[in-house]
Amino acid sequence: MTHPRIDRRSLLAAGAALAGAPLWPRITLGAESLIAAMFGGTWSEVHRTILKPCFEKDSGASVSQAAMLATEQISKLTAAAGGQPPFDVAMMDEGPALQAIERGLLAEYDASLSPNFGELLPKFQDPWGPSVSMQCIGLAYNPRTVKEPPTSWEDLWDPKYEGRVGITSLASTLGTAFLVEISRLNGGHEGDMGPAFAKLQTLLPNLGAVSANFGAHAALFQQEVVDVGVQNFNFVETLKGKGVSIEWVKPDTGAPAWKTTMHVVRNAAQPGLAHTYINCHLKADVQTAMGAAPYNVIPTNANVPLSGQVKEKVAATHDELDKLIFYDWSKINEGRDEWSKQFNRQIRV
Amino acid sequence: MKRTAPPSVTGEWQLALPLTLFFGLFFIGPLLLLLVISFYADPAMQTWGTADQYIQAVADPINLDVLWDTLILGLKATIICLIVGFPLAWMISRASPRWQGLMIFLVILPILTSVVVRTFAWVVILARRGIINESLMTLGIIDSPLRLLFDETGVLIVLAQVQMPLMVLPLLTTLQRIDPNLTDASAVLGAGQWRTFWKVIVPLSVPGMIAGCILVYAACVTAFVTQTLIGGARNIYMPLFIFQESMDLQNWPFAAALSVVFMISVLLVVALLVTIGRASKAQPA
Repeated sequence: MTHPRIDRRSLLAAGAALAGAPLWPRITLGAESLIAAMFGGTWSEVHRTILKPCFEKDSGASVSQAAMLATEQISKLTAAAGGQPPFDVAMMDEGPALQAIERGLLAEYDASLSPNFGELLPKFQDPWGPSVSMQCIGLAYNPRTVKEPPTSWEDLWDPKYEGRVGITSLASTLGTAFLVEISRLNGGHEGDMGPAFAKLQTLLPNLGAVSANFGAHAALFQQEVVDVGVQNFNFVETLKGKGVSIEWVKPDTGAPAWKTTMHVVRNAAQPGLAHTYINCHLKADVQTAMGAAPYNVIPTNANVPLSGQVKEKVAATHDELDKLIFYDWSKINEGRDEWSKQFNRQIRV
Repeated sequence: MKRTAPPSVTGEWQLALPLTLFFGLFFIGPLLLLLVISFYADPAMQTWGTADQYIQAVADPINLDVLWDTLILGLKATIICLIVGFPLAWMISRASPRWQGLMIFLVILPILTSVVVRTFAWVVILARRGIINESLMTLGIIDSPLRLLFDETGVLIVLAQVQMPLMVLPLLTTLQRIDPNLTDASAVLGAGQWRTFWKVIVPLSVPGMIAGCILVYAACVTAFVTQTLIGGARNIYMPLFIFQESMDLQNWPFAAALSVVFMISVLLVVALLVTIGRASKAQPA
């Protein structure tokens, strides 16, 4: 019997090849498998429990979903530019979406591969990818410790909330939109954030915590680190569903809002499946399921009426959604770098 | 050509080849890439060959403030680890073999869980209505909750706990190697317990202390998860700062420059510790 002889050279070669494994193009698990990025919190819940089953039924393929902030998705796609992207489907807010389009990271959305695209309200039919929902921000408070609910952003400056207010950094759209709104209410706008920073300075005594990112922001309320603060409508409802003592109020000056979009990534390994996946998010039955408590995802399909908490707290009809407050995100993108530095300087202990 | 090394040794260096290759590919390679990126002038990475990012990094005082805060945070956490870790390592080294096994297991237990899980557990413990505050309030020691979360105090507590094994294990190895006859000899020569401790045990354990300090320091200053989740956005340290520039703002050249500056600073501190270690070894105890 002869033993297979492994010489040193081939062993080394094999070792080097193994060591280089992460450099290989993405290993596809089966022939038909999609990789989709999604946001965390409410979004990862609805995508796992509602979107995934729909996609699997429509395509017969499987999907692996990874929670990532929009900015993180852009970084990963930029890093992979020129090669095969690490995921096929991207999920973005308005600001990052513009940035991703500008950098050539996304592919145009092919409506012919998406039978339900036409059911969306016209304003949600973007050639770069449909708006699957809208998100809006407002005031969140803990009803156990705050007896009189806040009604306006100005309430955050009330001395009775000294050390009890929570905001979040500009890493997320939530934090950015809050600051732009403060600017708007104090005579500024997307191109002039001076008033926002002047006003932020006066908020410092009330600041109990500034979360470094979106994920940590929910914990501020969950762990009762703060009693009142800025928060995304959907996230409050999801937290409430988990038994957290939290309520959401639309500010008397209106709720800042933006479109949440999904995109097929440029050079995606599975563009066909990516369209099927996104299309599922546009279907009336999927949007109805996502619109129910505790998710309360705002629908964009014209055949899905607003209901429940969305109707009660955000807008009664699709037309009323237009009354939410919108910004010019391309303008915001121009200033974000500088604002972020200024924000750090001001809030740093 | 003259070969001085015996034939058995000539083959040995080849054993290090896989590791060298691995390091070259995944450590030196990315490091060089980082250096290259840091010399781009703009976030879009079009013009190369300027030190603009470094000038910017040094010119804005907040960058140096954050760097300083980070280096000091590491120093504080390392000192806490040393003060708490030394007695612990000492106790373990004196325990019976059966207890020793159990105690070492308890010390390394924190490393066996994910850092994210550990940190979130600390969030629950340190929160305003967390275990510490609730207990202290129930006992009547404090009237209103202490601010532990989103504060440097909290970051230090958690870093000390999370990185403790890195201090205790090298210390333990050194302490176990100290010949027990030396303490007996010290006692016979009339030294009291404290004197024996300061004049015999401490000098002999310096190598372990230095090794532990280097490990803990390097781990503390770069502990992104702990610093960010416990410290929040108002206590900014270099890892979060670099993350913001690279991931949130996609300014890779500036993030790379900050990383290089940070890495050099940490290396300088480590070099200082190594020098102290060498100096103490050179001196007869």
